[in-house]
Amino acid sequence: MKRTGILFFPAFDWSLGDSHPEREERLLYTQEQLFEEGILDLPQIKQFSPRVATMKDVLRTQALFPNPGAHTESLDPHLISAGSSLLLGEAQVNGEIDNGFVMARPPGHHSGATVWGNRGFCSLNNEAILVNYLRARFGKKRIAIVDTDVHHGDGTQDIFYHDPNVLFISLHQDGRTLYPGSGFVNEKGGPNAWDQTLNIPLPPGTGDEGYHYILENWVLPRLQAFAPEIIINSAGQDNHFTDPLASMNLTARGYGRITELLRPDLAVLEGGYSIEGALPYVNLAILLALAGEDYHHVREPQKLKRTTLTLAALKPYIQDLQKQQQTVKQSFTIQNKPYFPKGNWISIPHSVYYDTEGFQETRHDYVRECSNCAGTVYIESRRYTEKSILVRIPFEACPICEQAGYDLWDHLQKPNEGFANGMLQNQLHDKQYLWNRKEGLMEF
Amino acid sequence: MFNRVGIDVGGTYTDAVYFHNGRIQHTAKVPTQSDNLVETLMNAFDTLKISDEQEINQITVSTTLVTNAILQNRIPPVKLLLFSGNGMKIDALPWPVTYTELTGEMDFRGREIEAPDQKEWEKLQLQRDNISHAAIVGKFSHRNRLHEEQLAAYLKQHNPSLTLALGHEWGQANFYRRSLTTYLNLGVSDLYHQFAQQLQTAVSARNIQAPIYILKADGGSLPLAKIRPIDSIYSGPAASVLSALTQTSSDASSIIVDIGGTTTDIGLTLSGAPLISSKGAQIGDFSTLVRSLAVRSIPVGGDSVVRTKDQGFIIEEYRLGPACCLGGDRPTPTDAMRYLKLIDYGDEQLAEEGLASLLPPEQRTPQLLHDLAAEIIDRVVDRIAEAVDSLKREWKEEPAYKVWEVLHPHENKEFNTIVSGGGARGVTTALGKRLKTTVQLGAFSEVSNALGAALARPTFDCTLHLDTYMKQYRVEETGEQGKWTGSLRPHREVEGFLETLVQQQVAHYGIEIQDMEKEPFDFFPIVQNYQTVGQIISGAVHLRPGVIGRVQE
Repeated sequence: MKRTGILFFPAFDWSLGDSHPEREERLLYTQEQLFEEGILDLPQIKQFSPRVATMKDVLRTQALFPNPGAHTESLDPHLISAGSSLLLGEAQVNGEIDNGFVMARPPGHHSGATVWGNRGFCSLNNEAILVNYLRARFGKKRIAIVDTDVHHGDGTQDIFYHDPNVLFISLHQDGRTLYPGSGFVNEKGGPNAWDQTLNIPLPPGTGDEGYHYILENWVLPRLQAFAPEIIINSAGQDNHFTDPLASMNLTARGYGRITELLRPDLAVLEGGYSIEGALPYVNLAILLALAGEDYHHVREPQKLKRTTLTLAALKPYIQDLQKQQQTVKQSFTIQNKPYFPKGNWISIPHSVYYDTEGFQETRHDYVRECSNCAGTVYIESRRYTEKSILVRIPFEACPICEQAGYDLWDHLQKPNEGFANGMLQNQLHDKQYLWNRKEGLMEF
Repeated sequence: MFNRVGIDVGGTYTDAVYFHNGRIQHTAKVPTQSDNLVETLMNAFDTLKISDEQEINQITVSTTLVTNAILQNRIPPVKLLLFSGNGMKIDALPWPVTYTELTGEMDFRGREIEAPDQKEWEKLQLQRDNISHAAIVGKFSHRNRLHEEQLAAYLKQHNPSLTLALGHEWGQANFYRRSLTTYLNLGVSDLYHQFAQQLQTAVSARNIQAPIYILKADGGSLPLAKIRPIDSIYSGPAASVLSALTQTSSDASSIIVDIGGTTTDIGLTLSGAPLISSKGAQIGDFSTLVRSLAVRSIPVGGDSVVRTKDQGFIIEEYRLGPACCLGGDRPTPTDAMRYLKLIDYGDEQLAEEGLASLLPPEQRTPQLLHDLAAEIIDRVVDRIAEAVDSLKREWKEEPAYKVWEVLHPHENKEFNTIVSGGGARGVTTALGKRLKTTVQLGAFSEVSNALGAALARPTFDCTLHLDTYMKQYRVEETGEQGKWTGSLRPHREVEGFLETLVQQQVAHYGIEIQDMEKEPFDFFPIVQNYQTVGQIISGAVHLRPGVIGRVQE
């Protein structure tokens, strides 16, 4: 029996559109199921009420481009979802609960280091905001995030790609067959955080048995080796066999077992859009598993009709994948711009598609190669003709990287540079600065 | 102006208040003869010296009868039959009674997942086991009562004398609480009906024709014949909150403290409305769906024993006779109050001796005795303050399920404190200092429950749950389930529908209602394959607990 916190925030008055999967109805039946079971009467369960995250909490982790003011109208539900994660994370770290489940809408794992809008139903990354909150406020050093949503947690990966102190593991349906089309084994982290990102793309049709096999034989050993102080599970429920957007074959009990194996300190709800067939049962199973109760009687009414990959068929695929993953070697391009402070700056260009509103963000990411810290990060981001920049001085930055961050930040504000606005994310001193050529500097 | 009688039938005393033309005319306190309630009630009526029985508009009674029967485990056995379905293992929760699980399952929309198995029913053998009362409860029966009714029909057919209760009549979610509530309500029904009869006999014997109302746990009153027996639990604390309401302005926010011999009850009103508990009432080992006021009872009172411990003292949860100053032999908070001259009853010398016994002989100086007495009172006040904080947290930290709710949290309120009960005068100053509020002494505090009962108005709640796709509607409070014949996406139609339901129920209860509060409807579009195919709609009206008048001294 574990003291388990639950923060249930179904956002019953909010949707991304009338018939959008992310709509009012999404957690309605979960509420019916949980309340009818009397789950809140379990002596070890404690219910928490939501809170709103502050802009500082967000900016510590994500840059809102071109400026936070451009987002405020649509951000409220996302700030509540993020704030709810912070609240429950805090309760866990304070020892008020042993573990917890943030069952809140909207989700967050597709939202990355820079945010121009909503993508994959996400505007703010709840888990990432939590991770950096725990580091800034509670001095936590090593945190692992295991993303069991069926979609690749590309936003979370983006935020921690250069961070050697956050292990990010994502299990998802192969990006060649599903949104967002990323999350392959060669994405293993930046030069200063090599091998701290682990992507496990799975073939459609993977079921309970296969999934548990991978957890036990790949994920858990990796977690154990990393020895995190806290494990956070991005608990997407769209691996369920009834999910309308994906093609995996997990059951509610399978999810219970995932939770039992991972033993997360905090589970944070991500996606999952089989709102009647899966969510009430999967949420219940996860919660029961967290609370140390028997989840084997949780049974979804529908029967699995699709064919599931047998373990025998899956094993060779996994072994092959593991081999591939291990053989991927670092190959990074150094690209030093004239104004870059001393050192080797690795360039990683990429673009991000915002499916909700249908536009492209083009990014040029640079990280200062460093053997002493996570390295200062410099990101130039463009949407249409708008351009914004992010300078990040990481947690536990070494003095050289810290200074490099300040130098870059000063340089960009010079009158003849072509930048109009930007953000300094000083994680080392937990300070965030917004700069705009017209309005000047603002500190958070 | 109203003419009303309020009666509080307690375990030891029965209190009564008679309001004539809106003013208190007489009060009464008579010993409760538990084996002769009729006589007890007649005595109370006689003491009230009612001038004209015909003028009385209403009698409202609060009673601990049902509460005590449950707490003292004096309820006859009820066979509990459950359609528990899949989900959480049923024994994950603590069941204070035994149950039999049967096959048959519904889901959250009220769709049948698995039909019951009649072969299991044949083996039940209720007759052989001499079972006269059975409660049938299904998981999600508040969405579909089919299985409960099928089994009830089967059992009735084989055993016509069986008294049955069905769970869906408690239409809120929570299978566990619904099961225990159905069980208890059936278990106390005989006892309650006996009480109702005695009450009626006594009233008739005194020639009173006024309707009799019973006070409920939520502070509302309902006609004797309409109330569900289990709803009468905890009417005592509810009455004391109502009594405080009669002594403040109609929009005041108050902390209500009622200090008894060994327990102190604490309640909260917010802008004139008592705080309702977000969960149902807990009684003994039973978690129920009974709507009740949020009240804290803490085991400390004027007669609690104070005992030395380590270098200091502790206040025990029990009483061993009266305070020293009233002839007892154990020091109590009452002795501390007496020693500090905060109260004027009891013997000062005896109080001092009692307190002195808590100190080593060499420390029994006036200064140290004074300090000790003050500390005892502070300790009592601390316990009260903790309970007040916990109530305020319950109010402020109500779970919020909508963005709007989170963005509009409760505003802070300016509270005053009303304290009543035996030790009230003794803690006034300390309580005011600790809670940082003004403190007012409750009037008529020796009969405050009867006073609260007398002026209680009815409460009424009607919560509609409508699933236009399944074409089903349900009413939480009554468990009514019916067919929806309206449109798939109703707008104004649903308002009219709820209004009709409300009127029907109000007529059924025979109550008059004003100040009805409407909750805005929630509309959930039901989407299948990106098409909206219907709506789930919920909406409610409430008549919050309150009083019909104020006390003029």
